[in-house]
Amino acid sequence: MIDIQLDRVSKQYKLRTPGRSPKPWYSDPFRRRWSPMWALHNVSFQVRQGEALGIVGHNGAGKTTILKILSSITTPTSGEITVRGRMAALVEVGSGFHPELTGRENINLHGAMLGMRRSEIRQKLDSIIEFSGVGQYIDVPVKRYSSGMYVRLGFSIAAHLNPDILLLDEVLAVGDAAFQAKCLDRLAELRRTGRTVVFISHDLAAVYRLCDRAILMDHGRVVADGPPRQVIDEYQRMTFGDDTASLGAAESESPARCTSVSFSAPDSAQDIRTGYPMVARLSYRANQIIPAAVFRISLYWPSGYLCAQLTTDSSQGGFSLGPGEGRIEFHCPVVPVVPGLYRVDISIESNGREIDLRQRCATLNVGLGKFVSGDFYIESLWKLIEGSLPEEQTFR
Amino acid sequence: MAERPDGAVSSSVVPSGDTLASSRVRKSEAGIEGDRVRPVRVIRPPAFSIGTIFSGVQTLVKYADLLWILSLFRLKVRYKQSALGWVWAALQPLALMTIYTLIFTRVTTISTGGIPYALFVLCALLPWLFFSSSISNAVHGLVLYPNLLTKMYFPREIIPLSYLAAGLADFFIGCVILAGFMAHYRVSPTWNLLYAIPILMVLAGFAAAIALLFSAIHVRFRDIGLALPLVLQVWMFTIPVVYSLQSVPVRFRKFYLLDPIAGLIENFRTVLLQGRRPDPSSLALSATIAFACLAIAYAYFKSSEATMADII
Repeated sequence: MIDIQLDRVSKQYKLRTPGRSPKPWYSDPFRRRWSPMWALHNVSFQVRQGEALGIVGHNGAGKTTILKILSSITTPTSGEITVRGRMAALVEVGSGFHPELTGRENINLHGAMLGMRRSEIRQKLDSIIEFSGVGQYIDVPVKRYSSGMYVRLGFSIAAHLNPDILLLDEVLAVGDAAFQAKCLDRLAELRRTGRTVVFISHDLAAVYRLCDRAILMDHGRVVADGPPRQVIDEYQRMTFGDDTASLGAAESESPARCTSVSFSAPDSAQDIRTGYPMVARLSYRANQIIPAAVFRISLYWPSGYLCAQLTTDSSQGGFSLGPGEGRIEFHCPVVPVVPGLYRVDISIESNGREIDLRQRCATLNVGLGKFVSGDFYIESLWKLIEGSLPEEQTFR
Repeated sequence: MAERPDGAVSSSVVPSGDTLASSRVRKSEAGIEGDRVRPVRVIRPPAFSIGTIFSGVQTLVKYADLLWILSLFRLKVRYKQSALGWVWAALQPLALMTIYTLIFTRVTTISTGGIPYALFVLCALLPWLFFSSSISNAVHGLVLYPNLLTKMYFPREIIPLSYLAAGLADFFIGCVILAGFMAHYRVSPTWNLLYAIPILMVLAGFAAAIALLFSAIHVRFRDIGLALPLVLQVWMFTIPVVYSLQSVPVRFRKFYLLDPIAGLIENFRTVLLQGRRPDPSSLALSATIAFACLAIAYAYFKSSEATMADII
């Protein structure tokens, strides 16, 4: 069954053109005062029941417009959309709150805005308060809430909607880690019960983790559609391609440049997996002698924090490098990080000064390998030192 | 497939094979909901047509709870952090009554058909203030929280209509005061008082029409909000609030009564203070014009609703 079907959907926005001349409006009353901007161009795709679709793309690619049209906030200029099932959209949760009203009153108001019946809200009230963790402040006006409490309460209400189709727009970017985990649990639960999810995010790792399928949008068109991994790779290529072009031109006279970076398993038939070896290759071109050169490959968590770094730095400082092209290989016997998508920075330093930096220029995709819970895989051996096993369960 | 927005369990509905399979999964895992038929919705570009009235009303009925909750919250929020609170609902008509009474009994006089002027003017001020304050609140209310329009969906007319409902509450408070004045001046009501109910319904319908029309235009052109105080002030003097219909020359009355408010207010005063039946022809005319306006205004509102979020 198809839950959402878009059939050649286009959306035009009218951008107001500022008056270029000081002529008053009555001198030319019929002049067109706007210019067309097509946010969507003949977009067609389908989402099957129970599928989780991720939509990725640059800012302004039309992602949010799709979400707004799906949730009826605005309408398409042409085309047709068929939606089967009750839908709930989480676009900036908590934005419908009234600051003067208490948390409890806002649950009633917001719930009704999201289409809940009063009886339904009454029935779920305790569960919503419990989930939000706002607890004792539930009878305080929300204008006194911290922004975290605000968002938690908003998400909590939306999470209790029980929709057939859930639309998410960057909602996971907010709230503390514990609450994010809670949200992900709730999403997983919805997924298990066969809900359809449309997820829009710049957090590629989250798209990779949550979605069965992804769509890449660019300038209002669908440019790729397929398994998340392929689509994300395509997106990265698109981004990286743009960057090299502009960076290359700007820093042509820099003494050395990184030209490419790649990651692979030593056995190239394999994926990179947690707990298994990996090889990182970095190519460079030096235009002159680089004294005390240091290469770094920095891996970033999806949250943006530095996760780990591969570096040629040592206590003796760097090594001198002759001009010309070259390649550096890092051999890692064990990839210790959890499965996911890591963004990569590469840099070259000389005498402690950065001479080339490529931010977010590649991704490292770590697949499911050895079991790990938490952030890192720690290799260990274990044995029982004291205590005993029951007779009948002795292992040999 | 039938529209079932509430997701309630219905044993009479037999879902198709596919839905049955999926809902069985849901039943065992979620446990909180049973079989439900998924509503099918088709989204198309907006169009101005009479059909939008019916589909609009259908959706509005589904969101009736929101209208109720929002109206209650308008009342709650309005007098929050004000020292006098609900007294304000009574203060406005009383103050206006006092000033008009002073002007039209001391400075100049107006024939009221034997009714004390204070009572005469208060009786017309209450429906007028309901009408004018609902409209001005509704017009400003729709653009007050742009986030509501750009971040979530619900039928937008609920915002102006909730201000209307809140205005109705103020009107009833005013009516208690009016009853006090009637007792004080020993004006005894008759059963014709009950005609006030249909009169009020027509009045609310016309207020809704104007509120929907003006608030929809106001999203595009903020000129409406700027012009509104002036328009309402002038409008008040074109209808029989401070004077009676009898003061209007007979040959103009036909045009005069084309404004539904004029007929409604005159009739409201007739049934309450004189205890007579309302003038059936003017009431029918008011009702016809008011509900025709409401239908057009609603269709316009629904067609412009589609792009409100882009424009606001």
